[in-house]
Amino acid sequence: MLNYVIRRLLATVPVLIGISFISFALIYLSGDPTDFLLPVNTPEETRRAFRAAQGLDQPFLVQFLDFLAKAITGDFGTSLRFQQSAGSLVWERLGATGELALAAMVIALAIGIPGGTIAAYRYGSVTDRAVRAISLLGQAVPNFYLGVVAVIVCAVWLRILPSGGRGTVEQLILPAFTLGFGLVALIARVTRSCMLDALRQDYIRTARAKGLGENRVVWKHALRNAFIPVLTIIGLQFGLLLNGVVVTEIVFSWPGIGRLAIQSIYARDFPVVQTIVFLSAFTFVMLNLMVDLLYVVLDPRISYK
Amino acid sequence: MRGSLRAFAIGFAASLLAFAAVAANAQSVPRNRTLVVAQNFDPQSLWPNGTTASTNLNPGGAIVEPLFWVNPRTSQLEPLLATAFKMDSPTAYRVELRKGVSFSNGEPMNADALVHTLKVFVDGAVTPAYALYSTPLDRFEKIDDHTVVIHTKNPYPAMALVLTQIHVIPPAYWQQVGHAKFAQQPVGTGPFKLTEWVKDDRVVMDRNPNYWGTAPKGVERVIWKPVPDDTARAVGLETGEYDIAASLAVGAAPRIQGQPNLQLVSVDSYRVFNMILSTLPKHQSPLLDKRVRYAINHAIDSDAIVKNLFFGKARVLQGQLLRKQQLGFDPDIKGYAFDPEKAKALLREAGFPNGFDIDFKIPSGRYAQDREVCEAIAGMLAKVGIRTKIVALEGGEFLRQLRVQELGPLSFVGLAPPDDPHFQLSQYRSDWRYTFIQSAELDRLIDEGVKETDVAKRGALYRQASRLLHEEAPTVPLFLGVDFYGASSRVKGLLPTGDQRIYLYGLSLE
Repeated sequence: MLNYVIRRLLATVPVLIGISFISFALIYLSGDPTDFLLPVNTPEETRRAFRAAQGLDQPFLVQFLDFLAKAITGDFGTSLRFQQSAGSLVWERLGATGELALAAMVIALAIGIPGGTIAAYRYGSVTDRAVRAISLLGQAVPNFYLGVVAVIVCAVWLRILPSGGRGTVEQLILPAFTLGFGLVALIARVTRSCMLDALRQDYIRTARAKGLGENRVVWKHALRNAFIPVLTIIGLQFGLLLNGVVVTEIVFSWPGIGRLAIQSIYARDFPVVQTIVFLSAFTFVMLNLMVDLLYVVLDPRISYK
Repeated sequence: MRGSLRAFAIGFAASLLAFAAVAANAQSVPRNRTLVVAQNFDPQSLWPNGTTASTNLNPGGAIVEPLFWVNPRTSQLEPLLATAFKMDSPTAYRVELRKGVSFSNGEPMNADALVHTLKVFVDGAVTPAYALYSTPLDRFEKIDDHTVVIHTKNPYPAMALVLTQIHVIPPAYWQQVGHAKFAQQPVGTGPFKLTEWVKDDRVVMDRNPNYWGTAPKGVERVIWKPVPDDTARAVGLETGEYDIAASLAVGAAPRIQGQPNLQLVSVDSYRVFNMILSTLPKHQSPLLDKRVRYAINHAIDSDAIVKNLFFGKARVLQGQLLRKQQLGFDPDIKGYAFDPEKAKALLREAGFPNGFDIDFKIPSGRYAQDREVCEAIAGMLAKVGIRTKIVALEGGEFLRQLRVQELGPLSFVGLAPPDDPHFQLSQYRSDWRYTFIQSAELDRLIDEGVKETDVAKRGALYRQASRLLHEEAPTVPLFLGVDFYGASSRVKGLLPTGDQRIYLYGLSLE
């Protein structure tokens, strides 16, 4: 088991280097940061001096290797736009994004899993159809639209929740719901189909035959067996939440890394973009590893050697 | 498994409560004496000379003050940390500082502080964003404790504008912390002191009890919130979360105007929207023929654009790039009248009876309504036979192409140079990076204008330059941008400037 974990961790190294290289190359190709950082009428000498001071006049590979060498020591360089350590800029905002992603996931799980389970148990009923309809809606409605509608309804019409910002629980509700809604749909759908399958299995009949109550049959025996694909989805989606986070953070003025990422990309702020990409890739890889390890907890038949 | 889940849930709830408690703690100033301003971005720096972005200057300028400012209510240069300046000679400008002013850390604001500030201001490595202003400055001479003479390399009539850009910093504190940290924790003489800055969430500043001047009445605290989404800024204003919302979308303006407890402030921007019609030989196109450039000028109906896309709030330019209020504006230039028939005739005369095809480069999402404006223009051009293919460019690519003169032969730009006619016109000097005209005569007028300290003579030179540009038509002057601000009716005296500066001087809260 420990061996397996170490092997998996080692395998992340080439992944991270590869991803860093691709994102570095993409931003490098996309333009000169001085276009954004200095006013358009800045004299060319000042521009040149600025490039030299920031190391932007070096060849591409030199810049990349330099970044990599420093990144290993945990130094992601200095933001071109903020003139501060890129690492600390991202770190300051990481908590906000983590809080939002976690809250969205909690909402998605709290609604999606019971919803999917009940829909499967009452297959073909009105509840089932309602869950399916909501799932379809959740996957079809884009985040930014849902966010704006939520703000207009809850903040402008009903005046029950603030329109944005971070700090209070009220301020967390709308963005977390917006971000979580698409997930609710996905999780409910996967849970439903896996539960449909599980409920047809022999062990469920056995459980019922030995006189167990329906609640125990459904929530313990069936759900636990149906849970592995759901867990996989959760793991993958947690990483993909970062996608939705960008839009949600902008709509709700949430001070997280999604917003920082977008602004940094527009401003060609290489070090910050690199840090965020690096960190997201790392998180993604770690979450997958965690999911794989959780399989063992859920299903004792699985083991890693 | 279940136990750990419960522990997690409890931990999560506890952390939420902790956030709520922190938020509640910060609310020691009552809401009705707090001014909440929503801008589209968080500042990168609170040192005003760190960047030229208004989102930085607005909060930064409330802490670190400049020598002078141009009061938008009077359009006059008014003193702040300096009380007066006068020209000793065309290359020496004497600045008298206000007496008895201290920085909020106790350091005196005096000639030493100003000389130090000026040295930082001209240091291109630390202050690259202000290079355009600082290049003509040469050396600085302390006369007495409150008098400094600024020597320039050559006569520099735009000095007044430069003095509004110089924000005075406390030398000892600056040397102690360095410019990077100063940008995060600025100390100045201003009406407010920085209390807290939570990145991308809020900049909180409280009243400076020892402020030398008149602080905004009724304002104990100012909170600057970055709200990137256009809709969210307008919505937050409606719900009363913000007292001022900057950079409102054009579409949001009429809705704000209709509400009893809100006010809409529309400000003529310094941003000049025009079309580039390149006259450079390297941009081979029918536009090299002056008659074609006239034809395009006659084909565009700027009034219709402003009326339909900006609710009539933007100002149509009068055949020239300078505004009415600027030195060098020539009231005799009337602009090319909207006349499609005349345009067609000019095209026939130039040998294009059936029109022609041409690329039209436009920025996408960089300026308010840019796409819509350009589509309207393309439609107008099509009516006289000029078939354009719109090439929409992302912001960065657009700026790059502008800088390396690739935006020719035909494009749409909106540039906002500093508010002096020299900065506007010098963009057309033959050697300027993004000029689209080569004219020795124009170069001469620009070079003489920048050194002419006699205001009347300077104005005459610029009027000549404006006429020459009108005659050669390397552009279609379209309209001045308009900036929309929304505010609660509790806010009195809100009048931002055309470069999106929100000064707190003269503002009050009921």
